[in-house]
Amino acid sequence: MLQVPEASLTPLLPILLVLAGAISSTLLGFWLSRRTLTLINIGAVVASAVSVGWLWNRDLSSFGGGLRADHAALLLGFVILAGTLMTLLVTLDTAWRARVSFPEFDAMLMYAVTGCLLIAFSGDLIVMLIGLEIMSLSSYVLATLQGSRRAEESGLKYFLLGAAGSAVLIYGLAFVYGATGSLNYAAIAEKTSTLNPENTGILVGGALLMLCGFGFKVALAPFHQWTPDVYGGAPTSVSLFLSTVVKVAAFAGMLRVFSGALENAPGWHSVLAVLIAATLIIGNLAALRQTNFKRMLAYSAVAHTGFLGMALLGTPAAGGAALAYYLLVYTLMTAAALAIVAALQRSEDGFSVNDMRGLYYRHPGYAVALAVCLASLAGLPPFAGFFGKYLVFQAAFQNGYAWLSILAALTSVAALVYYLRPGMLMFMPDRTPAREYGLGQRVPTTLAVALGVAGVTVLGLLPNLWYAFVAHPDIWGMLAGR
Amino acid sequence: MNSFTDWLPTLMIFLPLAGSLLLLVTPKTFRDEVAGFMAALTLGAGLAIWRSGGSELFRWDWIPPLGITYSVQLGGVSLALALVTALMSFIAILYAARRIPNPGPMLSLILAMETGLIGIFAAQDLMLFYVFFEDALIPALLMLAMYGKDGRMAALVKFAAYTLFGSLLMLVSIIGVRYLGGSPSFAMTDLKQHLVTGSAQTWLYLGFLTAMAVKLPLWPLHAWLPDFHEQNHDSGVPDVMGTLYKVGGYGIFTFAIPLFPDASLDLRPLLMGLAAFTALYAAWIAFRQTNWKRLLAYAGLSHMGFVALGVFSLNETAVIGAMYLLAFQNLYTGALFLSVGMLQERIGSLETRVGGVMTQAGALSGLTMALWFASIAVPGLAGFIGEFSILLGAYQVSPWLTFIAGITTIAAAAYALTAFQHTFWQARPAGAVRVRDLVHTEWLILAVPLGLLVLFGVYSTPALNLMQPAVRAVLSALGGN
Repeated sequence: MLQVPEASLTPLLPILLVLAGAISSTLLGFWLSRRTLTLINIGAVVASAVSVGWLWNRDLSSFGGGLRADHAALLLGFVILAGTLMTLLVTLDTAWRARVSFPEFDAMLMYAVTGCLLIAFSGDLIVMLIGLEIMSLSSYVLATLQGSRRAEESGLKYFLLGAAGSAVLIYGLAFVYGATGSLNYAAIAEKTSTLNPENTGILVGGALLMLCGFGFKVALAPFHQWTPDVYGGAPTSVSLFLSTVVKVAAFAGMLRVFSGALENAPGWHSVLAVLIAATLIIGNLAALRQTNFKRMLAYSAVAHTGFLGMALLGTPAAGGAALAYYLLVYTLMTAAALAIVAALQRSEDGFSVNDMRGLYYRHPGYAVALAVCLASLAGLPPFAGFFGKYLVFQAAFQNGYAWLSILAALTSVAALVYYLRPGMLMFMPDRTPAREYGLGQRVPTTLAVALGVAGVTVLGLLPNLWYAFVAHPDIWGMLAGR
Repeated sequence: MNSFTDWLPTLMIFLPLAGSLLLLVTPKTFRDEVAGFMAALTLGAGLAIWRSGGSELFRWDWIPPLGITYSVQLGGVSLALALVTALMSFIAILYAARRIPNPGPMLSLILAMETGLIGIFAAQDLMLFYVFFEDALIPALLMLAMYGKDGRMAALVKFAAYTLFGSLLMLVSIIGVRYLGGSPSFAMTDLKQHLVTGSAQTWLYLGFLTAMAVKLPLWPLHAWLPDFHEQNHDSGVPDVMGTLYKVGGYGIFTFAIPLFPDASLDLRPLLMGLAAFTALYAAWIAFRQTNWKRLLAYAGLSHMGFVALGVFSLNETAVIGAMYLLAFQNLYTGALFLSVGMLQERIGSLETRVGGVMTQAGALSGLTMALWFASIAVPGLAGFIGEFSILLGAYQVSPWLTFIAGITTIAAAAYALTAFQHTFWQARPAGAVRVRDLVHTEWLILAVPLGLLVLFGVYSTPALNLMQPAVRAVLSALGGN
């Protein structure tokens, strides 16, 4: 007799709602237009966000702790859903121009989000890995869907490097299992707090291999090489998705694994610090040299990986809060900036930084919005990017990484220069003909941009609106579920 | 305790910003009036605070989990500087409305920047100070981008890179000051009770100092300044705001001395040396300039060297003199930038080698000369009281360095009078355009600052009474020096 396994599905509700959207896109694609499907998916995402709010403060778990809807999961899940919503709004306008306007695109996007949420909600390494693979495979497809040489090349590059990254990650996962005898975060955390010396080598090796694997996913130098090509080669709406939602999910995984399960494991802190230092230097200096605005944003995403990573070096209480705050802000400002690129570009290559000259006099609304996003990305108050930066500096500084804080401050100067150039060019008077797409301003994209700009402004003036939720230290002490 | 006076500083900070946003929806015909009205209202709020003898500390927990408070107070030195800022912004608006075609964005940016500047002076919380410090930067950059000249991109990047280089190091220092000292918040009242000690204090002071040295500016972090002024709009309006933005001396006075008393004493000789060198070096370079704006930029740099000398000497007389000079330097350098703008409007160039303007535009030349006298510290004008107090106080600390800086006063007379002679006296070149004299509000724009410079040059008591207690309170942190 077949036994139905007893599993509580309530904590899975946000994931199931998104999955329902994905499945409906797959099945209904034969009868409904893609725009309708996108609207359905927006509904699914909003419903999922509501269910996140509904699950708040219940601390449910399922599958014997393998899947947890604790505060950390819900907060990170909310960030993922916010990024998804903005992506969907942008695709409503630009998918047809990017030649990806078919139901499979929406289905893949929603499957990827399902994977992302699984990572955030994961309570053991296997669930995390399943989520990561769902997310990665869908992302490879998304990057390739547009039938162009550039998209195929970038997708292939993404796939090959991503697969290698996954392999390394799985290898590390096996090592950690070998050293601790468990895949559950809580059990691993318990084992590592009273470490058996003969297993230490294996544990350290496993942790470092996993660090490499995650390094590929979040684009830490020197594993970042695929990012500029993929973000630059993929359709802009996909770049938007990859650089926000997918990155948030990968960071959620890192937070769960490193600040949660492996918090007491030796070795990985100092290696991560070195990788972050390299990321900050390489990302910021390479972005300085870009003439294509979209590629510049890609390198800036690499540079922000360095800032985000600094949060992992803090104590879980300070670092988790900093990361959760920064991830939301990062999503809002990056998504809004890329949404404007998606609306105004003439081809999927994005546009050149010099083409932005005088944008303020042609599209005043978008120009001001983009300026706000760039100021926030550069970390200028009163926009929320400043508090994000401040929080990660503080988290690293408090935990003894003062040198890294100073390095981050110095590389931020380079960051300012490359954000400043387009930001200021937009306001310079210009008499040459416009080089951007004239008909780009449409309601859903404008809505996504408004969401991002309002978000970074309000969270900059009143950071407590979001920080009060993420600041509770208990949330981040429970990352491994203890 | 009067609740309305508690709110006055907040009102004074945010009135200009409200005006700036209001301008976005104001019809073109009323734009100048609205901008002028908001600026006048801000100045009125400042005068009201002065009448009530300065405001109490107002504190509100802005971001409780981070220990960031909204603490503002306008009194003493900060009130004096805020008043000067409000006055000069008002004058800049008057002039911009008349001089600049399509002045809407410019008026809006002036008001936005005024909020940042008054906020800098009012802030009594380190993070709040940082926020205003950066906020004032954005309008300055936009002014340069929208109204600058051909070489503005390079000047912009230089300006922003220097500023951010300093302020990000300051941000790390700010974080360090709180956590290494163990203070519960970033408010100055809390930080003063949890001082960092030992060598960490010196390192944090250096981080803080970098930001202030860029803003002062102090050699070798001054290179952004001449380009910034040269590339800005000819009218000189953005330069007025740029002059007001030199808040480094104030930052060191209000935050660095109380928070890093031992480090300030340890580094005193070195910093005084840098300051004296900056003053002399800038005066020397100013002598060689043939562009009025570059000349004024280096003259301002030289004055800032004086301010720095006074602040770093940690001597009561010198610090009062430095704050006095900082306040009135804004008046005469700002007014001089505007007079250069008027000159440019008439002859179409910023060159100093014009000749003979005096014969046709007597009032413009006369007022400009009087302002230059204030700038080179002729007794009877406010600049003299500042420079003399600085030299008097600093001499008690380091006679030789003061002597070197003192030479600057001679150099200043040399560069100012040489350039003035080239432009306003000498012979008028044959066939040159006729120079119109001052009209309408232009009189006010130059005469009001000059009147104040004379008033406070002869009768300095009100300003000194305002500053002296504040300076004593800050220096008491050094333990009876």
